[in-house]
Amino acid sequence: MNEQFRVAHKLGLMFLHDTPLPEDVKAWATSQLHAKSPALGIKKIKLYPKAKVQKWPKSLQPDLKKRDDMFAMYKQNVRKQRMKLEGHTSEAAKRANNRDNLMGEKDEMKFAHRNVYGKDQVRLRFTSFWANHFTTGNIWDNQNHIGHAIDEAILANLNGSFSHMLYKMTTHPSMLVYLDNVWSSGPNSKNVIWAKENGEQAGLNDNLGRELLELHTVSPSAKYSETDIRNAAKVLAGWGIWPGNLSDGLMTLNERNNKLIEMGETTNSWDFFKKWHAEPGNKTVLGKVITPGKGGLRNLTDFLASHENTIMFISFKLAEHFVSDKPSKSDIDYIANAWRHSNGNLDQIHSAVIERAISSKAPKFQWPMTWLFQVVRLSDASFFKGWDQIEKYDQGLMEVRKIFEELGQSFWHTRQPNGYSSAKSEWLSGEMFERRIRFSDAIYTAGYPSFSPQDIMDRIGVNKATRELVNSLVGRKKQFIALMCSPELMGLENA
Amino acid sequence: MPKLNLTRREFLKASGASLFLAGLPLPGFTKDKPPGTISVIMLEGGMDGLTAVPPFGDPNLLKMRKNLTSNNFLKLNSFFGLHPSFQYFGGLMAQNNASVVHATNFPYVLRSHFEGQNLMQGGGLSPFSDTTGWLGRALDLAKVPGRSLSLDMPLVLRGMSDNDNFYPASIKSSSDLMTQLIDTISMAHSKEGSVIFAKVSKKSTQKNSIVPRNPASLAKFAGKAMSQDGGPLSSVIKVDQFDTHANQGADENGNHGTQLTLIDDIIAGYKEGLGDAWDRSIILTLTEFGRTVLENGTGGTEHGYGSAGLLAGGAITKSRVISQWPGLAKNEQFEKRDLMSTIDYRSVCAACIEKSLGLDHDLIASKVFYTPKLPRVYDQIFS
Repeated sequence: MNEQFRVAHKLGLMFLHDTPLPEDVKAWATSQLHAKSPALGIKKIKLYPKAKVQKWPKSLQPDLKKRDDMFAMYKQNVRKQRMKLEGHTSEAAKRANNRDNLMGEKDEMKFAHRNVYGKDQVRLRFTSFWANHFTTGNIWDNQNHIGHAIDEAILANLNGSFSHMLYKMTTHPSMLVYLDNVWSSGPNSKNVIWAKENGEQAGLNDNLGRELLELHTVSPSAKYSETDIRNAAKVLAGWGIWPGNLSDGLMTLNERNNKLIEMGETTNSWDFFKKWHAEPGNKTVLGKVITPGKGGLRNLTDFLASHENTIMFISFKLAEHFVSDKPSKSDIDYIANAWRHSNGNLDQIHSAVIERAISSKAPKFQWPMTWLFQVVRLSDASFFKGWDQIEKYDQGLMEVRKIFEELGQSFWHTRQPNGYSSAKSEWLSGEMFERRIRFSDAIYTAGYPSFSPQDIMDRIGVNKATRELVNSLVGRKKQFIALMCSPELMGLENA
Repeated sequence: MPKLNLTRREFLKASGASLFLAGLPLPGFTKDKPPGTISVIMLEGGMDGLTAVPPFGDPNLLKMRKNLTSNNFLKLNSFFGLHPSFQYFGGLMAQNNASVVHATNFPYVLRSHFEGQNLMQGGGLSPFSDTTGWLGRALDLAKVPGRSLSLDMPLVLRGMSDNDNFYPASIKSSSDLMTQLIDTISMAHSKEGSVIFAKVSKKSTQKNSIVPRNPASLAKFAGKAMSQDGGPLSSVIKVDQFDTHANQGADENGNHGTQLTLIDDIIAGYKEGLGDAWDRSIILTLTEFGRTVLENGTGGTEHGYGSAGLLAGGAITKSRVISQWPGLAKNEQFEKRDLMSTIDYRSVCAACIEKSLGLDHDLIASKVFYTPKLPRVYDQIFS
């Protein structure tokens, strides 16, 4: 590939057909860190002419409070359904409840659209990296949160510090629900004392405390103890609120708001700290003393964010994701140094990643979702339905949710908290490769690409081996599949 | 007793259960054919052995786990019971075709999912020290040539060059795989990509009937493949979601109980698929750790140490609960929080390899698990 596309392959999602190619690709990639693009998408697929790309409608992007209210309403309707209340039991009422109150499918489509039509491709790639680092997989109760976390905790904080992003992700309801922290109370909290006296269940849950250390920051290389984990969990105790909370009784939203304020002094689930559930007293994590109260968590995440083990662990992950499948020690050190010198400023860290990714000539194997977005962008296919077409049956086109399910990768599906690996070895399988073939076929067959394999090859300047591969085949469809599954487009070595 | 309760089956999610088949002998391979087949059900997240096989004879169980212990357990003997999700497995025990090993684990005590999962599959001396898995190494030692049919390969099977995994695709608007096209693509790739596309190509020539995508039917499919002459000698099914930190529940409908039901369904599927080959088969579960003895503050359990292993198959001819019970009192627990492990689960895996692949224990101990002094528990399981 020519240099522009080689860089866009490693660090971005490929240039759209109407985007002029930059002359100074490194300056372009770095400037992309500040590219501002709203969530773009299409209302409905149209082929001749292609559907107009426009901003996602505001009505489909509710704020967090609205999302929480919607989920409470959803739970309440389900309850009414079970109580067999009139007007709640029909199939139509159930469908309306899903459609009006659940966000998972809309958010997943918005994410796909954004990646296919976005003008901020490098930012989006870093967003996906961090969304994966801070995995909050889908459990049913979390579906109104995941998209919000990606947009508002990750993408919106991409130009700040790692410590800020860490705090915003740790306190985001998406994380607090996913790793069970919403249920946790300090062993000496008022809640636990009350529960003991009344024969109720309450106590500590260490799930988030453990993963905060193991996955999000210092990693096991820091050799923390079980006590460190429990103490981190004690710092976290009291944070968060289960989104279905206070919806089971048939209370109104107003009553719910009042109850939330009573518990957490706010209706904002992103800043929700229940004093009643918090653990009194100092806690020590990896030698750092954390004072009690709401501010303790920020002290802890700031401490962990600048820990040397965190810097080395995440610098490696960044290098493995963007630079090469086998990053060198100097690649990792270079990123780690940028981290140290800038006190964890993400612009500086990401610029260092960009620099090494460009200077390294090694190919980088791409995740299935990244590859899929790249194929759709290169060919200008219409593969993802529009927001007016959610749940409308189409003979040729799959639901967005289903596409990611078949692809084997999505931020909205059940996952383990360590997220998807960037290691090539985890993705080298017949199953995954079969899906690349099949999706290339489906994108060609159902997506009506605007560009032929020859057009695409000319534009991106494929290497000789790719051109020979494609030209050895007869028929556009076969050529298209071979191009998209070529070593060059997959980020693998040529034979 | 057929047991395919459709309503209880869960469809596979993107990263949910998957099936892997391995150890496919080359056509014409007859020399020293291994005596049996070995299948592994990998349970990701940490199965709670105390919920799965409650030691109701231990006076501390109900004291510590009132909300996690089902009242409807099936009685195995005067000390151990079986969770009500295990209706089918319980039936196999009654027929002397299944056993339980309790208070057991790989010697890994640090309670990280990802290290633990790596170790239970790698079977090496420390996490991430191996790029191959214990089952892969065992199949290699058994000199099963050719091998494999399937589609992301789990670590446990790595160590054999020609392996693959199986999860049928359902992608609208994609047509049948074109063998010649895939061969052409395969040739354009260097070795690592080329061998994978070659597997896709091979698959494109096979007239596979539609494979359902729920775990029980995948197990049935695997059993059937393994029952055939020249079929694979080994399979692995992976199921996740055992990590119940909150609202674990006690009965079949609880969060943990639902997952246990999946195991039961998988074993039932295997038996149905294997047919007569059941008699020479062994199926074992594998999990990265057990869960804390005490219920946590949120109706769940945290990552622990000792758990239970379930064994099923016709290779077992006498059912028993194999355990050196360590006790549940605080001072009997590991680090005052977890069930102690008194049987190294590697020994259990070694016994299953010995039985199914006909390898010598000392060889397995040193070459597969790198632990020459690994205790042999074969007689406790298979005699």
